[in-house]
Amino acid sequence: MVQLRPRVSRTPASASAMVDEGQPASEEEAEHGLLLGQPSSGAAAEPLQDDEEGDSEFDEDEAPEELTFASAQAEAREEERRVRETVRRDKALLKEKRKRREELFIEQKKRKLLPDTVLEKLTTAPQTTIKKSPGKLKEVILQKKNEECEKGSDSKKTKEKVQKVQSVGHNKSYLAVRLKDQDLRDSRQEAAKAFIQNCLYGPGTNRTTVNKFLSLDNKRLPVKKAAAQFLNNAWGTQRKQNAKRFKRRWMVRRMKTSKN
Amino acid sequence: MGEFKVHRVRFFNYVPSGIRCVAYNNQSNRLAVSRTDGTVEIYNLSANYFQEKFFPGHESRATEALCWAKGQRLFSAGLNGEIIEYDLQALNIKYAMDAFGGPIWSMAASPSGSQLLVGCEDGSVKLFQITPGKIQFERNFDRQKSRILSLSWRPSGTHIAAGSIDYISVFDVKSGSAIHKMLVDRQYMGVSKRKCIIWGVAFLSDGTVISVDSAGKVQFWDSATGTLVKNHLIANADVQSIAVSDQEDSFVVGTAEGTVFHFQLVSVTSNSSEKQWVRTKPFQHHTHDVRAVAHSPTALISGGTDTHLVIRPLMEKVEVKNYDAALRKITFPHRRLISCSKKKQLLLFQFAHHLELWQLGSTVATGKFLVPGKNGDTLPLSKDADHLLHLKTKGPENIICSCISPCGSWIAYSTASRFFLYRLSYERDNISLQRVSKMPAFLRSALQILFSEDSAKLFVASNQGSLHIIRLLEGSFKHLHTFQPQSGTVESMCLLAVSPDGNWLAASGTSAGVHVYNVKNLKLHCTVPAYNFPVTALAIAPSTNNLVIAHSDQQVFEYSIPDKQYTEWSRTIQKQGFHHLWLQRDTPITHISFHLKRPMHILLHDAYMFCIIDKSLPLPNDKTLLYNPLPPKNESDVIRRRTAHAFKISKIYKPLLFMDLLDERTLVAVERPLDDIIAQLPPPIKKKKFGT
Repeated sequence: MVQLRPRVSRTPASASAMVDEGQPASEEEAEHGLLLGQPSSGAAAEPLQDDEEGDSEFDEDEAPEELTFASAQAEAREEERRVRETVRRDKALLKEKRKRREELFIEQKKRKLLPDTVLEKLTTAPQTTIKKSPGKLKEVILQKKNEECEKGSDSKKTKEKVQKVQSVGHNKSYLAVRLKDQDLRDSRQEAAKAFIQNCLYGPGTNRTTVNKFLSLDNKRLPVKKAAAQFLNNAWGTQRKQNAKRFKRRWMVRRMKTSKN
Repeated sequence: MGEFKVHRVRFFNYVPSGIRCVAYNNQSNRLAVSRTDGTVEIYNLSANYFQEKFFPGHESRATEALCWAKGQRLFSAGLNGEIIEYDLQALNIKYAMDAFGGPIWSMAASPSGSQLLVGCEDGSVKLFQITPGKIQFERNFDRQKSRILSLSWRPSGTHIAAGSIDYISVFDVKSGSAIHKMLVDRQYMGVSKRKCIIWGVAFLSDGTVISVDSAGKVQFWDSATGTLVKNHLIANADVQSIAVSDQEDSFVVGTAEGTVFHFQLVSVTSNSSEKQWVRTKPFQHHTHDVRAVAHSPTALISGGTDTHLVIRPLMEKVEVKNYDAALRKITFPHRRLISCSKKKQLLLFQFAHHLELWQLGSTVATGKFLVPGKNGDTLPLSKDADHLLHLKTKGPENIICSCISPCGSWIAYSTASRFFLYRLSYERDNISLQRVSKMPAFLRSALQILFSEDSAKLFVASNQGSLHIIRLLEGSFKHLHTFQPQSGTVESMCLLAVSPDGNWLAASGTSAGVHVYNVKNLKLHCTVPAYNFPVTALAIAPSTNNLVIAHSDQQVFEYSIPDKQYTEWSRTIQKQGFHHLWLQRDTPITHISFHLKRPMHILLHDAYMFCIIDKSLPLPNDKTLLYNPLPPKNESDVIRRRTAHAFKISKIYKPLLFMDLLDERTLVAVERPLDDIIAQLPPPIKKKKFGT
């Protein structure tokens, strides 16, 4: 008769390996070892020595332990259930955490916004047609903007500007304007000015100084005259300042010595 | 006359801003000129090219396009993205409408005058409908890839040519779609890295599109097929502007080198019907870029960075070959920018954004031990002119007008939205300034400010047509009275004059006659009959209370206020007529003043001469010599000249911006040499001349 070594129940391939996508909890991994090359349990995982010991304990005549299918199945199910429970618990915990963070953000954002009353007024203010204030050069027509939006004009600015100017409060002595729009407009104007400056006076254009330009005539006269020179008042400002300071100090010293 | 010591002032650092756009209106023969600082000026070409109206500039308003529409309406558009309509009656801005396309580069009014087309930075061409009160956005045309720099309507109103960077598009107005896209060579016969910018396009009624670009080419395209017909290379630098005449037989282009070329449609041989475009005349009247040209039926108008406005009548179009056919170059302003305080010898200079107050220098008095200098000697300064105050204005708007009181302790100036009044106090060597706050709102946008002789009253002429009188107290003011304009007219009062005794105030508007008000009774006293040329200068004589009026056609009238009629002398000179050389002067008279002890003398000046009219001497007829170019040779010469005729003209000090009599023996003349202006202009295009 062949001697069968007692076999420790081998758990089936862990449920977590099939259920979990990407977040195996650290304990599970350590427990199950999951790599195919290394069975975490079973007879092959145990060192040979134990076998020897086990062997000596039992007699050769004893029959192996009887393991009914039902008990094994029950155990397996038990294990599965446990694993599933842990997974569910972990997920729930994560969800809770995320929810709490979201609420915190909403709270913070709410604190940054204007009070509710002002927001209400902004959204329900009547669509004014033409607003003309004396001395103000900028006029905005909301109707026209809405028209433009309908016509689907391509300029991105219209969409931003729809909420641009609406009178807030009962006193219409001021206009609320979004600063972002003003910056955009200014930057576009600056870009346009830079473009034309570049076209006319930038590199590649054949420009010369006024000095040289006026000197051309002097050089072509029958009696040649010197080139036109313009006074450069900015020359040597540091030197002149130093000289002035020195003179003042010297005067003071002179006064002191002359007094004594 | 006698002898005078003259303060020759050259420290007024006046630099006008360059001309950016020019628009000619055929019906009223007026020219609208916009400058780089945002000022828009209206010149009346039939009134001897006089600047009759102007709109003050604004720092954010960099106008890039100007056009007239139906019904004498003036529109401008600029890099701040807004279309602005100007109210020519009330001299203010009616409204500014944002076009929502980014900076606007070009604008054109349709031939019918009822639609306005605008080319924007984002490549869109927008069509606006001109309604009686406003303009209304109609639709967008097809959006192009790069910014639209020039636009032109076909005279029939069916097509539009839009010039951009490296290409020209032709649109159909009805559908709004681009029919042709014509690619422009970057360089005449060659390749270049620099992009070709189409500075101007013009659409003729036969379908030809003329384009001028930055490579120096003038190209003729056929819009039906979208192909190039003819190519002309006319300059080494950019060709920046184009204007076509109404009859479409000639057009003018302006280049960056300052040359203006005239192209004409001439027949190929003398009796053939086939015509072609030929470059006929070059004109070199500018030193810097010519950024705007216009073509009136008889003249070519050009303006550019060198700040001159040049009007060149075409000889073949001019009917009568008289002085009207000469070249006109407008360089100096037609208004007074300098005011003077006679008692303290102070001068107030008005710039666009600041005011400067200067104290005139003095020289060692000539006593009986010192030999008085001969005629023409330069006297050395014992005390230099002193720059007392540099007053910057708050805000982006330009200063419209300013004034200093005769006693030197009040300064007032006005911008389009505010009025400022300052009180000056002098303690030994220091000067302190204190602002009078809470000026009333109706004083803003004043066109002319004047103090009374005793500095107790301030007269302000606003652009709505009303005249305000304010009494000045120690640190504050009190509004005394407002003279409202005549019912029905909203006419801006441009010039004011007050009599030295403080009883009479004369105000002139743009079209009606000169109104004279009695200041003591606060009532209208009389009105000088209207004359069809605008008034350029007004003044009231000290003792006789004669009102002297100078018009833009160089006529001078003298009206007696107490008698309510023209004086005898005025009638005499009108009957005889002025000397023809007097009438042929280019520049208007901007200031008139009087001598306290000599009631028969009137001192007036324009940009190139100053003249003392002696009413007691006989008047010159056309045959006498008006100007004496050389200085008098000897004593008998002096006496002869003194008694020859009434007009004593001197051209020693020019170009004159201001001249006034400080006291009995002293004159002040503020000159502005042209070279000093040119020294501060932007760089011009390099010109290579042989031998340099």
